[in-house]
Amino acid sequence: MSKIIVGRYIPGDSLIYKMDPRSKLLVTILFILAIFLANNSITYAIVTIFCFLAVIATGLNAKVFWDGVKPLIGLIFFTSLLQLFFMTGGHIYWHWWIFSLSSYGLINAIYIFIRFTLIILISTVMTVTTMPLEIADAMEWLLKPLKLFKVPVDKIALVISIALRFVPTLFDETLKIMNAQRSRGADFNDGGLIQRAKAITPILVPLFIHSLETAIDLSTAMESRGYRSSEGRTRYRVLSWSKYDLIALIYFVLLVGLLLIFRTH
Amino acid sequence: MNTKKILRTDLQQLVFLGIVVAIKIILSQFSFGPVMVKVGLGFIGSVLLGYLFGPLWGTIGGGISDLISSALFGDQGGFFIGFTLTAMAGPFIYALFLYNKPVKIWRIIASTILVTVIVNIGMNTLWLHIMYGINFNAALIQRLPKEMIVPWIQMVISYFVLQAVSRVKIKK
Repeated sequence: MSKIIVGRYIPGDSLIYKMDPRSKLLVTILFILAIFLANNSITYAIVTIFCFLAVIATGLNAKVFWDGVKPLIGLIFFTSLLQLFFMTGGHIYWHWWIFSLSSYGLINAIYIFIRFTLIILISTVMTVTTMPLEIADAMEWLLKPLKLFKVPVDKIALVISIALRFVPTLFDETLKIMNAQRSRGADFNDGGLIQRAKAITPILVPLFIHSLETAIDLSTAMESRGYRSSEGRTRYRVLSWSKYDLIALIYFVLLVGLLLIFRTH
Repeated sequence: MNTKKILRTDLQQLVFLGIVVAIKIILSQFSFGPVMVKVGLGFIGSVLLGYLFGPLWGTIGGGISDLISSALFGDQGGFFIGFTLTAMAGPFIYALFLYNKPVKIWRIIASTILVTVIVNIGMNTLWLHIMYGINFNAALIQRLPKEMIVPWIQMVISYFVLQAVSRVKIKK
């Protein structure tokens, strides 16, 4: 349970922890886009080195990152294997029906494998070193430009913080409801298709009613504390840039610069 | 059920949206079925968002749910804006068919098939193609078997859930 409350955040005090969540989020998103630039062995080596620099900079145990990759390792292998046999071109080593093993396919499969792993690793760096609340604040900051298109960013920010706040509470609630229904004979893991589908309603309806009641109570409480609308309010939780964010900027500029120089045009 | 009757103010609606987004995130952590065709329950959240909040706020809620679940659990397979669009498209399609409408079997079948074809098969495969540079057809072949089986299970669940939810009338 405690796992879900704090998310995947692991406390620490290395370099990356001191960075602003906004710069971490931006660099993560841009890193994934920058991987698109890689198209030969040198550029793949560069992104791999940069990714491992970030991983090392977290100062965390390698097991943390292995746990991030582990649930997807089967999928990664399977996808790479499929690619291996579907890509054709270059020297062909082996051929049967629609499958063929070629040098082109082999290289591509390796590239895809690297891409998969790097994207998961860099995302893990982000979620492991930043508290969910900070990530939510960073997301809110990133959404701000959408105001120009009349997107109700303030309302969205309110929904984000309420949802984030209620995930652990409702998760507890869900487990309680499941146990309560189990204690009077409900079975969630057996029976045919329709029986299992039916078994979900005794969880969902109480959860749903509880949520409706919470929504009414919480909004009443908010209004009685003077909440009128999301606009014209001050902020208590403020994010601030520091000199460590310069490192994130340099890291990213260096990465993209090197990729642009060494990629095959 | 019309939530507007129960939730009178805009704020109540917004808070309820936040909580339903939380429900979607929690449901997507559960799944059932044998290993080969694991059915995640996240789609129930999409159905609820579309059914209760309509195309505009349902879509926004879908996007928020993706952002938060990636903040909490880390996006499986990396942070990518395409998957946020996917999470928005699902509730949007469900809303077109189900929002403010009586729960009918054909509506559920049509919306689920559309979501499967457009969102799960079309968009998600496209993102995998863009993100990892994998061959589109190979990705399709890898995903198709699951997407042929799972929608039928989803329809049955959606029907029971919507039947139950539409009966909810709160007394305070």
